[in-house]
This record gives sequence, C-alpha cells and structure tokens, in this order.
Amino acid sequence: MTRFIIQRIIGLVFVMIGVSIITFALSQLVPVDPAAAALGQNAREDQIQAYRHELGLDQPALVQYATYINRLLHGDLGTSIRTRRPVRDDLRDFLPATIELSLAAMIVALIFGIALGIVAAINRNGILDALARGLALVGGSLPIFFLGLLLLAIFYSRLRWLPGPGRLDAVMQPPARVTGMYTIDSLLAGNWATFKNSLWHLILPALTLGYYSTAMILRMTRSSMLEVLHQDYMRTARAKGLTEQVVILRHGLRNAMTPVLTTVGITFGSLLSGAVLTETIFGWPGLGRYATASAVSLDFPAVMGVTLVAAIVYPVANMLVDIGYHFLDPQVRLS
Amino acid sequence: MSGPRSFAQKLLALVLLAVLAGCGSAPATNPASNANSTNANSSNTNTAAESATAAPAEGSGGAATAAPPSGGAAGGDVSPQETLVFAADLSDLISLDPAVAYEFSGIEVVGNIYQPLVTLTPGDKTIKPLLAKSWDIKTTDNGSTITFKLDEKAKFASGAPVTADDVVYSWGRIIDLNKSPAFLFTDVGGLTKDSFKAVDPQTVELTLPKTASPQVFLTVLSNSVAAIVEKKVVEANAGSDFGSTWLNDHSAGSGPYVLSSWERNTQNVLDANPNYWGTAPAMKRVIMRNITEQANLQSAVETGDADIAQDLGREQAQALEGNPDVSLVQANQTQLEYIGMNAKIAPFDKPEAREAIRYAINYDELNTLLAGTGKIVQEIIPDGFLGYTGETPFKQDIAKAKELLAKAGVADGTEIQLTIGAGIATGGLENATLAAKLQSDIEKTGLKVNIQQIQASELLNQYRAQKLQMVMLSWGPDYPDPNTNAQPFTDYNAKSIAWRNNWQNDEIAKIAADAALAPTNDQRAALYKQMTERLFHEGPYAVLYQPVRTYGVRKNVSGFQYDPATTPTIFFWTISKS
Amino acid sequence: MALSQDRVEAIITEERLPVAQRWRLGRAFRQPAVLVGFLIFALFVLLAVFAPLISPYDPLGQNVVDGLKPPSAQYLFGTDKLGRDIFSRVLYGARLSLLSGVSVVLLAGSVGTLVGLLAGYLGSWADQIMMRITDIFFAFPGLILAMAIAGALGPSLPNALIAISVVTWPVYARLIRGQVLSLKERDFILAAHTLGIPEWQIIWRHLLPNTLAPLLVQASFDLGGAILSVAGLSFIGFGAQPPTPEWGVMISEGRNYIATQWWLATIPALAMLLLVASSNLLGDGLRDLLDPRLRDR
Repeated sequence: MTRFIIQRIIGLVFVMIGVSIITFALSQLVPVDPAAAALGQNAREDQIQAYRHELGLDQPALVQYATYINRLLHGDLGTSIRTRRPVRDDLRDFLPATIELSLAAMIVALIFGIALGIVAAINRNGILDALARGLALVGGSLPIFFLGLLLLAIFYSRLRWLPGPGRLDAVMQPPARVTGMYTIDSLLAGNWATFKNSLWHLILPALTLGYYSTAMILRMTRSSMLEVLHQDYMRTARAKGLTEQVVILRHGLRNAMTPVLTTVGITFGSLLSGAVLTETIFGWPGLGRYATASAVSLDFPAVMGVTLVAAIVYPVANMLVDIGYHFLDPQVRLS
Repeated sequence: MSGPRSFAQKLLALVLLAVLAGCGSAPATNPASNANSTNANSSNTNTAAESATAAPAEGSGGAATAAPPSGGAAGGDVSPQETLVFAADLSDLISLDPAVAYEFSGIEVVGNIYQPLVTLTPGDKTIKPLLAKSWDIKTTDNGSTITFKLDEKAKFASGAPVTADDVVYSWGRIIDLNKSPAFLFTDVGGLTKDSFKAVDPQTVELTLPKTASPQVFLTVLSNSVAAIVEKKVVEANAGSDFGSTWLNDHSAGSGPYVLSSWERNTQNVLDANPNYWGTAPAMKRVIMRNITEQANLQSAVETGDADIAQDLGREQAQALEGNPDVSLVQANQTQLEYIGMNAKIAPFDKPEAREAIRYAINYDELNTLLAGTGKIVQEIIPDGFLGYTGETPFKQDIAKAKELLAKAGVADGTEIQLTIGAGIATGGLENATLAAKLQSDIEKTGLKVNIQQIQASELLNQYRAQKLQMVMLSWGPDYPDPNTNAQPFTDYNAKSIAWRNNWQNDEIAKIAADAALAPTNDQRAALYKQMTERLFHEGPYAVLYQPVRTYGVRKNVSGFQYDPATTPTIFFWTISKS
Repeated sequence: MALSQDRVEAIITEERLPVAQRWRLGRAFRQPAVLVGFLIFALFVLLAVFAPLISPYDPLGQNVVDGLKPPSAQYLFGTDKLGRDIFSRVLYGARLSLLSGVSVVLLAGSVGTLVGLLAGYLGSWADQIMMRITDIFFAFPGLILAMAIAGALGPSLPNALIAISVVTWPVYARLIRGQVLSLKERDFILAAHTLGIPEWQIIWRHLLPNTLAPLLVQASFDLGGAILSVAGLSFIGFGAQPPTPEWGVMISEGRNYIATQWWLATIPALAMLLLVASSNLLGDGLRDLLDPRLRDR
C-alpha cells in the first residue's frame, strides 16, 4: 500500500511539472501585455513598465519560469495580476467553497445515482426503470448552465422555497474559519442557524453540479446491478432465506460497487469543469469563478495556480478510487 | 418477484421523502420579507437630481449612541431594521485603498468610509466644504495657490482629529504609490510631492502650476482618490506598500462608516463609525452583496433579500414595474458610448465621410434598442455636467449620407473595419449587439462594415497606436468637470482620444482649453457650447448615448440618492428604513 | 514455421470479418430508443444542412420593432431583443453545434489515435513518454484549460474548438493504445511481421481498421460531450461571440429573460438537449452493435 501511494505521488509530481510547463507556455502565447491590461485606460507607460518589472514580466521566458518554479518550491504561487494579492491567499479564500460544493454534488450524485440505479435495475423494463433511464439520458445531455438557470428561476425567484445565490444570506456572518467550508465550520462552532442556512444555500448548486454525475452513476449502478442480480451467489443468498433487502444491499450492492467506483473517479474530474459554470450562475465565490475572471483578464499567475491545484484533484481522486477498490475487494491488487 | 419490486418502491419513496423534506422546511430559513411589504410609502425614494444635501450636518458631537464597536470581525448584532443590504455586481473590486481604488465599486465603498477636503453634493455643481471648512484661491505668476482651513471638529474613526499632516501624507501616498488614479494628481494637477504642505495643524497649502485650473482641480479633490487617511494608523501598518494591502481589510478614515470585512467576491460589510463627527447614519450596518447575474439581482430585491439592487437590466426593470414592494429609480451615468473614426485612414480622412456615418445611424431605433438603459446624446459632454447642451442635430438620413459619401468620392461597397471590445457595452447591451445594429445602419449607405471583436485591452493597445479605422467604445469622466472630456476629445497633444483618432484641430482645442480656465460657470458653458457645435461636424466622432442606470429600491427604504458625478456616487448615510 | 501467404490473408480476414459482420443495423434498431435517437439525429443533420433553405429569416437580420415576440405563426419560436428570429437562429445553431462536435471529434480523434497507435505499437520508452504526456493532459480540468487557451488565443469559436480538442484527445490516445497493445500480440499481426510487411502497412492496414469499432463508439459519445463543452465555453464568453447564432451564446443572451421571455434561452437549450441526447442514444446503439460484451442488458 505504501509503495503504491509513493508511486502515485511520484507520478503526481511529474504531472504537476508538465501542467506548469504547459500553462506557462500558454501564458507566453498571450498577445496582450497583462500589465497594461490590468492598469486600464489612464496608465502611463512608466507605470506599465514598473508593474511589468514588479511582476517579473520583463525577464526572458526561461528566467520567468525558473523563478516561478523556485518560488513554487517555497510554497509561493506568485502574485495575481488582477487582484494584486498572492495567488496563495486567493486560493485559500476560494478553494474551500469549491471543495464544499463538489463534495455536496458528489453526495447528491451518490445518493440519487445509486438509489435510482438499484430501483431501475430491480424494476428492469418497468415504468420506474424507464423513468430512471430517461432521467439519466437527460442528465447526460442537458447543458448544466441551463439547468442552473432553470432551478434558480423556479425554486428561488418563483416559488421562493430555496435561497438565492451565495453561500449564506447576506445578513449571516460566516463562521470562524477552520476548513473554509461553511457547513463544517458552522458545525464546529456549534452554530445551528448558520449551518442550516449554508446547507440550504448548497442545495440548488449541488443539485445542478451533481446532476451529470448522478446520471453517470445511475447508469453504471443499474447495469452493474443487473449483472450481479443474476449471479449464483445471489440465488444462494435468496435460497438461504435472507430477505430481499439484505440480499440486495449486502450481497448485490457490494459486488456491484466496483464499476460504480470507477465512474465516481471519472466524474470527479468533470466536477471541476462543471463547477466553473455552476459557480458563475449561483454567484458561488469559488475556484471556478476565480478561474474565469482570471482567464478573462489574462491573469496567468492566477490561472497557473488554479490549474496546479486542479491538476492534483484528478490523480488524487483516482488514487482514492484505487484504494477504494482494495477495500471493496481485497483481492484487487494495487499496482 | 414481488420482493425486489416492493423494495425498489421503498427505496424510491425514501428518496422522494428526502426531496420533499428538503423543500418543505426550506422557507423556515428564508423569510422572504413579506412582512415588511405592508409599508408601501412610495414617496420616500428620491431620484438623484432632487436629493438633499449629503454632507454631514453641522450638529456637533452627533456620535452614534448604539453603534457597534468597529473592527470586530465577528461583528456585533445589528437589527435587520438597521441593516441595509445593497446588491450589486462588485466583481470589479480590486482595492479599498482610496489612493488606489479606481473602479466603480471601489469608489462606492471608499466614498462611504473616507472623506476628501471638499465635496460635490448630488445635483449641485458647486464645490462644498467637507473636511476643509473653507479655502482661498490666489492666482500667482506661476499658477495658483489654494489654502485650505480644516474643520477642527473633523475626526477619524479612531477619535483623533484630522490634521494638515494627515492631508499631506494622504496626498503624498497617491504620488508615491503611483497607481491608476495617480494621473489625476501628477498629470491633471501637474503636482509633485512638493506641491502641498502643512502650514499649521489646521492649514494646508496647495500650489498649482499655470496649466491647471484651480476650479477644475477642486473637483479632482472631491474625488475619493483625494480622500484623507489617518497617517498614524496607516504608517503603523505600512508594510512595503504604504499600507495599501492593509487598507483592503481595515479602514482609517473619517467617513460615516468603517470597513468591517471584505469577503472577496462575496460581500463587503460596513459598520457605522462610532466616532463619526457628523450626524450618525440611520443604517448601522451596510452589507454590499456581490451579485453578478441580472436575474438574481432582480430576485434579490423582489424577495427582500436585498433592500437596493444596483444596475438592473431593462427586462428586470420591466418585470419589477408595478411591484408593490419595489420602486425603480433611474439615473443618468456619466460615460459616453461613441464611435471614433481615424482621420488619417481613408475614407475618414474626408470630413464628409465622417459626417455620412453620423447621418447613417438610426438613433430612434438605437433608442428602442436601449429601452431605457441609455439616453441618446450626440455631444462629448454628458448630461449632468456643466456645458451639456442637449442638442441632437443628427437623425438618420440615408440619402444625405449617400450624397456626402459621393461628395467625398467614396466608392460604393468600400469596406470599413469596425473594431469593438469583447463583452458588454456601457448600459448593458452586448458590444456585439450594438455593433450589429450600427453595421446594418451604415451598410444602408452602400459601405460595407466588417466587425472585428477583440479583447478590450488589446483594443486599447491598437487604439493607442492610432491603428484603428473605426472603433466603438466608451469613455468615462475622471473627475466631475467637463474638462475631463473636453480636453481628451479635442486636444491632439494630450495624446488621448483625439490623438488616437489621428485628428488635430488646434482651434477647437483652444476653445476647450479656454473653457477650462474661464472664471465663471456661464462663460465656461458658453465656450463649451461653441466647442460642441464645431465638434459635431468637424470632429472624428459619432457620439451615441449615455447609459442610464436603474436601481430597484424596496419601498420601505427612504433617502436613497445616486449621482455618478459625485464621490461616492451612492450615499449609505442618508438612507433609512421604516 | 513460415506461413503461406494465403494462410496469413485468411487469418487477417478472419480477424476483420467479425467486426464487419456486426455491422447489421437492423439489430440495433430493434431497440426503440436507438431508433428514436437515430431519427432525431438525422433530422438535426437535415435541418442543419438545409438551414439556408428552411429558415424563414436571416439569423442575423434585425427588426428591432418586432423584438421579444413570443412564438407565433409568424415567428415559430419567437424573437429576441433585436427582433431576430429564434427559429432561424436555432437552425443555424444546429449547423454550428454539429460542426463543432464533428470537428472536435475529428481533431481530437485523429491526434489521439495517432499518439495511441504509435505509443502502443512502438512500446518501451516511446510509449512511456507519450503516456506520461497523456497523463498530464488528463489531469487538466477540461474547461479551465480550455479557458486558459481561449484566453491566450482570444475568444472565438475556432479557438474554443482547438481548446476542447486539446483536452479531449488523451481519451482516444489511451483507448487506441489499449486496443493496439492487445492486438499486437495476436496471430495475424505476428504473422504479418513474419511476412516482412512494412511496419507502416501493418499499422495502417491491419491495426487501425481493428480499432475502428471502439473508436466509433467513443466518438459518438464525445460528439454530445463536445457540443456541450463548446456551448459551455460560449456561455461564459470564451467561445463563439455574439451575434453568432450559437446555442451557448443564445442561452447566455437569453439568461436574463428566463422568467419573462422563456423562449429565448429555453428553445436553444431544448434543441441542444435533443441533439445531445440523440447522439448519446446513437452511441448506445453503436456500442451494443459493435461491442456486444458491453451491451446494456
């Protein structure tokens, strides 16, 4: 196990270097001077030059990259051209919101995806199956930015059942920062009102972001359950007189979970892309919106910071999935 | 196989139950403040122009009695009655340091926390005292000197008095920091750090060179950039950037509010200044909430999540019309959307060709398209500024445009490149939408228009290099005096708009320069009118419109005022809620 | 153990035949969902191809006076604020979306296939290097890399297509490499080697055709994904620019009207839903047809 993790971490470092090189190369392609762009209409040439110098943009590309990597090794991600703050501070502010949203979306996807997948499998070719499959088809085909707009229009603007954009009502004070995730921090602070409020604020964005993953997990659960339901050990279990619940949950689900886990790993990567769109619509102050704003203003130090962080997510998610396999079925060897 | 089926049903029921539970109990935490809506007192809301004075009243020692202690990040409890939620797109916020902030939202925040020596009040074009109770202008051989007497009652949120030392320090920081607004001091004012000094603790002396008009510079001094920070506090937290970073999360001003927190991308919380030297504001806490989607802004004010929503789109405003809880307040902004034509690139080297463009545009349909988000203006001075004439000599006349083109010898089918920026034009229409409208108008004259859309920053680069044949973009004033437009639009040597369009007319530039220095407002207005009338037909511009901003204001809010020509444009301290 | 030319040919044809035999459309269409998918998809293709003939108005033509009209006989799907006909715009949008999807799949598919073929076939260090590069691109969050690319190159539809392709090709590289690795050890390839058939011919004539089936299945799924991604980029301003009648742009332009003039955003969204769903259904059908082991039971 340890060897496996070490191997993966070495792979991760390799990936990070590659990611940083590619993003850096991209930043060199930009036809516009980001310093001039950041300073606006009235900037004088000497101000622009001074800012270029401050940002190190007047150095040759290789020197810039070397400086960047050197700083990176010291935990310094550089300074954002747009916000004029250390990128590290920006990420610390915005990353937890995205993690919270992605986790909530994944929880939504797991609950709905697995439950509906089982329902569909058991009900094969019945009405419920058709409904679930339709839901999955739509989930894989509907643009999530439209889904978000629609949910907000219905549940916030029209029905007023759920709160609008943002992570908390305006009048609520955010809880003392521990993880940066409001739901967890408010629980840690024992503040129920804030916890409830942040949870309600999470529902619509999590449903929006999680819908695609729900669809994928539903499909995978259904087909893998169908396969499992007809295996010998299921018949044996039934023959032993176990109730259907026990048979399905204990024997069926456990065995059907391996491919579902793979799907989880794969869709986790897609969550970050989805988060960009979801955060835009729900005014969610997370990494996705930060990335969008940074890319618009050609703020490549910030874009690089975001991609580096995001590039960790996918390999780590896959590593966790592999470890998950191991626990589901210890015979699966980690390699 | 009834076993698995029934299990499936149970599971489904469970999921549905979870969904219903979620929806059912939600309203508990979302008190859509219908309770407040009984009060429909619509006369409370002022439009910008008719608003009352904004300067702190004379009443001494009016410090808040129940103000929360400042600086506490957790914040004391403030009742909803005394909390104002202001929803707006604040994504342009970069800095809350008055010497650095030069974005629309930044000025809105800073202007409620810091005070300059002098001020303009909404709807009034005369400079009024604020931190300075009086000033005296002396003209000398080399220029002029303004001597300010500070108000001895004025004090910072810390309780310390505002002194000449603080003023000199604050202005010095602008020049030292040399950020976006610094040009107002160094270029417009022609100032260096030696240009101002403290004569005694209550007296500041400012020396202006001949090139700068003291009247004009007083309006510069009313800007948030010239606001005064408390030297002792800022110096104690100076760091490596004169305290600029520190001022993003703290404040050191003398205004009615102090900065309680800035949650990036989310909201800014302002709390009433407990030591405020003017009348204590009714709103003890102001929450400025960043909401970027138009539809969400509408919902926020509709549901009562927000008391005021800034910059509603036309469709949002229409949807809110007749809403018993919300009134709509419209106010002119001060930017201008215009077309620039390069006077050295054919066919626009011929004045007739430029005139033809002005006659090609269908201003009536443009007005329909703007639908209340903009007002047709054809001159370079916006409504609300001294010298605005309100004249609109141009109407679409294709025959005349064709005739002018023929006169200029421009062949049918001549191609023109119209360059526009990415994103949204002032007022909220897409640049591309607006350009498409102009394209279809201009092509009626037989010209062929190609639209090139590029990043705003790239556009500016090419525009500065005098490379663009025809450009559509907006210009915003930098200080509330017509010179802020007249000079860049007429003076080739200022290397601004006239230069970028390769257009030089020293006669018109001279009129504009004289207008800036003329002693009385009447004389100035007369000269600006002369300038405007010549610019109509000789200039390289087709001015299109001035954006109009719509606010949605809950009916229980009174004392709301907005004036884009003043700092801070929006005044939280005059607002109260019933 | 030299094999005769005939024998080798026989082995090769034998290996290729089963794939060919599975190309019986009838079987897939026995599933109604696949049939419906095919019909809708075909309809979109027809509408897109004949858009200039079918559309009643110029998709860019403005008529400000008739702005924001609800669906009616005159304007089938209503008009937007410039009075442009939504129906015509949706038709031209179908063109752009289909073209976008196909270009991304072609671009990403060919680059990915090339890399996968080479990596799988050459093996050893070449394989190692190429697969590490693939890993790097896999780790990139698609939309964020695409935004960075679009930011660097400037926002436009072609740049968005390049950006989406850049994040899509690794899928194909991995897929093809896996196929090649398993095919490489098969008799007919080994036999081809023994016969001294040039390597490029082995790759081109024997390896590639046998990877076509999974390639097609993957492509049909990615078609829908690419359409959604391109629209997503356009929605946040990094793809097609207004006034282009691209669906993502149209939804973005209609987002402020969703409560008042629903047709502006909803109709292009529904069109996209239908097109993507139909291409996904087709993908399901193709997969069942070409790769029975994966069939949805």
